[in-house]
Amino acid sequence: MVVVDWIAPLIVVAYVIAAVGVWLGLWADGWGEITGVMWAAPSTDHWLGTNRLGQDILLRAVAATATAFEIGLLVALASSMVGGLLGAVAGLFNGSRLDELILWLKGTIDAIPFYLFVAAVAFALQGHAMAMHLAMIVVFWTTTARVVRAETIRLGQSGFIEAARAGGSTHARVIVRHLLPNLAHVLLVQATLVFVAAIKAEVVLSFLGIGVQDSISWGLMLAEAGQDIMAGQYMNFLAATLFLFGLVMAGSLLADRMQIRLDPRTRNQWRTQIQ
Amino acid sequence: MTSRFELLGFVTRKLAASLPLLLGVTLISFTLTVHFGPDPAHAMLGKNPTAADLAALQRELGQDRPFWMRYADYLHRLATLDLGHTETSGEKVRDLLARTMPISALLLAPGFILGTALALFLAMVAAWHRGGRLDRLITGVSVVGMSLSFVIIIIALQAVFGVWLGWFPVRGWAVDGPASYLAHVTIPTLAFVFASIGYNTRFFRAMLVNAMNAGHVRTARAYGAGPARIMFRHVLRGCLLPIMTRIVYSVPALAISGSLLMESHFSIPGIGRVTYQAILSGDQPVIMAVVGLSAVLFAVAVTVADLLCRLADPRIRLA
Repeated sequence: MVVVDWIAPLIVVAYVIAAVGVWLGLWADGWGEITGVMWAAPSTDHWLGTNRLGQDILLRAVAATATAFEIGLLVALASSMVGGLLGAVAGLFNGSRLDELILWLKGTIDAIPFYLFVAAVAFALQGHAMAMHLAMIVVFWTTTARVVRAETIRLGQSGFIEAARAGGSTHARVIVRHLLPNLAHVLLVQATLVFVAAIKAEVVLSFLGIGVQDSISWGLMLAEAGQDIMAGQYMNFLAATLFLFGLVMAGSLLADRMQIRLDPRTRNQWRTQIQ
Repeated sequence: MTSRFELLGFVTRKLAASLPLLLGVTLISFTLTVHFGPDPAHAMLGKNPTAADLAALQRELGQDRPFWMRYADYLHRLATLDLGHTETSGEKVRDLLARTMPISALLLAPGFILGTALALFLAMVAAWHRGGRLDRLITGVSVVGMSLSFVIIIIALQAVFGVWLGWFPVRGWAVDGPASYLAHVTIPTLAFVFASIGYNTRFFRAMLVNAMNAGHVRTARAYGAGPARIMFRHVLRGCLLPIMTRIVYSVPALAISGSLLMESHFSIPGIGRVTYQAILSGDQPVIMAVVGLSAVLFAVAVTVADLLCRLADPRIRLA
């Protein structure tokens, strides 16, 4: 599995470069411009052909990479912060009223079907462009919180937290100085998983018409593709599928490997595997 | 020995324990759709209503009452299944749900059963050959399956079977007998199996591998028991709890999310398409009924999971 160890990060880096280039305006600026005829075949002008309106499909797929990263990074960062904090607090005060309240909140959110929840948030915000992002953050923190809570309880039993408390550290200091450094690997793996999940969710939501607005995304491309294939046009579908699949697959593998490599309990197992 | 009475008490206690959950879900759905949502009085009066007209209508609709009273009213209506009328067609929401839910159940059940059974079988093969070539193949394909979006699977199946081969209808639900049912349910079933099998195989395999480490499994192997006997009688029993919990828990999420996507894309008149249309048109009574109902479904599923685990494992006491 050494090959996987290198390929997955390399693919992710390639996507990052594509996204940064879009942000800096280096390429894919003209994803909305009509530069060709309707459904032009792949050529040197349009490497992956054009869509129904005559827009370049490759440019659209590359520009959508930036959209995917915007959604994935924002949701992963915010839900890791919320989930990490609430999970650590719940774990530290395990069994208290506060713990019960956080668990109740988590259970309640998990009980609402995700796409319905996004729809309800979009409804409440009356179609605000960030409704989808907000809904994802509110839903995705719960998994992170559950993992962090369990890990905090485990750490709490090992005694050093009690020692820090006895030494006069405040709860805030215990969380920042003693818990967070030991939870970093858990948070990093969870954030990667949320990043992937957010990108997958965006595709479904945009496909349904309640996701990305006034921009370009792989989900919007697939929504177009659903119509295109009835007319025998497959380039939109192939482009969006390949871009989406590559990032999700690389992200999932990366999370898998990080979980094994970064966890102190399995880190050495990996070393012996190599020998 | 457990009496039937004791079991009944267990179920009642479990359902009562899900009350805070139900309150939380209904509170969130009420807050989002009614409190923050667009004001139906505005929509009913059309353009440029006078302030007096608006106030009168809001009083008539009971919107001038405090938040908690309106929430209690909503709970009461939900409990008595008085779900109101849809805003678009004026049909009773209860009738609408009764009409569409059986279609969704028929649509999703084959894929759910087939997908779970297939995933369990693959996970058993992988776990039996743990570390071998077959195991690596199955886990590798699982990761690929997990990375394929539901949307991609639906469009690909539509292209292959609907457009190229033309074997199955890809739109609508003209079911009037077993043959037409099979024709209409095939593509959704395939889509469902492809979308869920990666996640399930991976999870089941992890659980099975864990259970295979138990001492009694090694003993059974030493006595020469065959793979099927060991897997079903010794390994599966040891990890039935997490597997069953996962299967039962996934039902409510699947029922709504899976049907939402497939029914809206394939124009199948089930609960998913009705919900989808309600989302797009902002049909408040339908959205609130579906959210409330799915929460009840979730609470029931949790109770069933607990009950099944109890029946399968006498060590879990009636706590």
